[in-house]
Amino acid sequence: MKTPEPRPGAAQQSSSPGDERAVHGIWSGTISFSLVAIPVQLVKAVEPGRVSFRLLHDKDYSPLVRRMFCPREGALVPPEEIIRGFEIGPGKYLAVTDEELESVSPERSRTIEIVDFIDLEEVAPVYFDHPYYLIPAKGGEKAYGLLAEVMSRTSKAGLAKFVLHEREYPVLLKSTAGALALITLHYHDEILGAEDILPPEAEVDEEEKRRIKTSIKNLLADFDPRKYADARRQRIIDLLKKKAKEQGEVEAPAVAEEGGEGPADLIAALEESMRRVKQQ
Amino acid sequence: MAGRAIWKGAVHFGDLEVPVKLHTAVKENRIQFHLLHQPDGVKLQQQMVCAYEKTPVPAAEQTKGFELEEGRFILVDPEELEETEPQSSRLIEVHEFVKTVQIDPIFLERLYYLEPDASPKGYNALAAALEELDAAGVCTWTMRKRSYLGALQARGKLLRLNTLRYADEVIPVTSLGLRKFSLSDKELKIGGDLINQLTVSFEPQKFANEHLAKLQGLLEKKARGEKIALLRPRRLPPTAPDQLLKALEASLKQVA
Amino acid sequence: MSRKLVEIAGKRLSLANLEKDLYPSFGFTKAQILKYYRRMAPFILPHLKDRALTCKRYPEGVAGDFFFEKRCPGHRPGWVKTAGVRQDDGELRTVCLVNDLETLIWVGNLASLELHVPLARAATPETPDFLVFDLDPGEPADILDCARVALILRDLLNNLRLTGYVKTSGQKGLHVYVPLNRPETTFEDTKTFSRAAAAIMEKNYPDLVTAKMAREPRQGRVFINWSQNDGAKTMICVYSLRAREKPYVSCPLAWGELEELAGQGDPQRLHFLSAEAVSRAEKQGDLFREVLVKQQKLPHLS
Repeated sequence: MKTPEPRPGAAQQSSSPGDERAVHGIWSGTISFSLVAIPVQLVKAVEPGRVSFRLLHDKDYSPLVRRMFCPREGALVPPEEIIRGFEIGPGKYLAVTDEELESVSPERSRTIEIVDFIDLEEVAPVYFDHPYYLIPAKGGEKAYGLLAEVMSRTSKAGLAKFVLHEREYPVLLKSTAGALALITLHYHDEILGAEDILPPEAEVDEEEKRRIKTSIKNLLADFDPRKYADARRQRIIDLLKKKAKEQGEVEAPAVAEEGGEGPADLIAALEESMRRVKQQ
Repeated sequence: MAGRAIWKGAVHFGDLEVPVKLHTAVKENRIQFHLLHQPDGVKLQQQMVCAYEKTPVPAAEQTKGFELEEGRFILVDPEELEETEPQSSRLIEVHEFVKTVQIDPIFLERLYYLEPDASPKGYNALAAALEELDAAGVCTWTMRKRSYLGALQARGKLLRLNTLRYADEVIPVTSLGLRKFSLSDKELKIGGDLINQLTVSFEPQKFANEHLAKLQGLLEKKARGEKIALLRPRRLPPTAPDQLLKALEASLKQVA
Repeated sequence: MSRKLVEIAGKRLSLANLEKDLYPSFGFTKAQILKYYRRMAPFILPHLKDRALTCKRYPEGVAGDFFFEKRCPGHRPGWVKTAGVRQDDGELRTVCLVNDLETLIWVGNLASLELHVPLARAATPETPDFLVFDLDPGEPADILDCARVALILRDLLNNLRLTGYVKTSGQKGLHVYVPLNRPETTFEDTKTFSRAAAAIMEKNYPDLVTAKMAREPRQGRVFINWSQNDGAKTMICVYSLRAREKPYVSCPLAWGELEELAGQGDPQRLHFLSAEAVSRAEKQGDLFREVLVKQQKLPHLS
């Protein structure tokens, strides 16, 4: 489990030499609007609730891990020899280093520049992709607090572009309970049209609509997602508890138990020591 | 054109049942990257390998376990896991309605368009009712062996279903440990003025994925064997707390 | 559900569920757990410092579901220190470093009753700072049998000019730590040494000791789990609470004390509750301090 010097091009490594980005949150950089700059880190805002399982070898329950395999050499490849690349023709791949990727839009990979603000209500839900939180880094807390407070008071959100790894996202920065959330958006041309599935006859049965509106008003409540729990997840947890009770757990084997006694000198020294211990 | 239909169901509440087909609403446009072997650029394949012996293990010899603690697992077999699957049902049960504006975007997961799967009478009336009341139906349903929570909304004449995250999947803001800093009235006023000056109307069709085009350019350049100039991004110096008001005033002057 | 805002070293924390009893058959609330860790902070922090934390969280108390976390939760305050540790498959895992009181309290607030750390520090994950003998009794063997084994180990090590330090696991067994604190030590070294020592122990005390992990030989014997000397393994940190029916602590002992208590023949004397752990530490200081500073070299390994 070596922690190697960050090397350009090593896969799944998001740090360049001298960069602390990889170890704090997902990304760190600066939010800017006009002449104000706020150092921040990007962290997760959501955590999937699904129960996750590990794959085990059924003969001795050792856990399995994903490793990369080179089909040409017919062998597993150590992490230092893995590089990110893109397909440029059928079966042809071109390797690209992290620094080269950063050079495509260098400013946007370090700075989230808010150029425009918009009314939050104008954003149709279809545009939202994935949420994150931004937390202020040292020195940025006051400016961060100001931006959050002012956006909240004016009901506005900031629009910016942001580059993370090899993708660029349009993003929305919005205030939420005193914090700043960053939500990536879909590009307009990624949103599919619906003309072909809409019913051709647009006429509405007024009586039916009126009845439905009454039902809706009767069932109107405040939005509280805590009322709903993931039923499947709970059943899996119940199953796990049951199995733990009935069958207990299995243990993965210790690292190879065979492998020799050890160096002769050591054995001899230990035996001599043991002799003296027994004499006491 | 909408994406393909992935599921069929029926929206249900009270005595109203509206059969629908779910279509995907978003098709991402991105350049996929792959993992390659450094020296020769060969595309690598993923394998499941024994953590200790480092030998590959075929699927037939794999079993699932829940890691209770380091190295200790509770085994489950596929049949038992299958039994936990929710009863398959085609009903999208609406339990209550809320004002659409109350749903924080942080809860929105994935969007589907709904197509009427029978006579559009019920569908059109429901869409119109939801649209006029600005309401969304909070519903649950079972799809592909998973339990979903969602919000049924209308946009124009179209009914859409947005899956929602469960409450415990959203990380509470309070856990971030943020401090409150006191802000002066002046700072707040100028900040507000600045934001208003910079406000425009939301025009998403104006977003172009410039980065994608530039990335493609980079790949073409590299493929031709040209050298890539490495540009190191600058880090903006942070605005110090005692400089904030000045920065805001200067910004406002620039844009007003 | 009560929520309390506290400020430690200028960092703000929101503490929740303080009156929740996490040890229901004994009576020990979250507030008391946080108070324990706050009082033990000067003693436990040096042993947690710069080590990747694995915590075992019991949000519903010791009788409820627990889960262990190696990854530092994404929803942490910005001031929590982390490190990136590269995994075997190339992935960079972000781990929490409990380097200060505020992080210790934050971790406690997440109902992380048990704090486990690796034998190496996060920045040098292949350099173990110490070697451990994890003594685990197979019924009907008990902690008194572990004490016998530990005392023999002490002498075995002393003759090789090595000093070991002992603590309770907080559960059924004992741990003997041999500080090394040298940059050239590898897990290969510590594993080789501990395995050889365990084998000698088994050979000479076959009815008392086993060095084999299999279930059968462990019945009625003390298992010396030498395989804990591995970069992927963690040990319960000294002074950590354990999630048993009562808040027992992994507590260090002086060798003379171990001899005396074991000699009294009452296994209960070797189980320390939180209150006792606190008064011991405040009176005697950190009996495990040398584990962090003493430099020793494993002999005869070349």
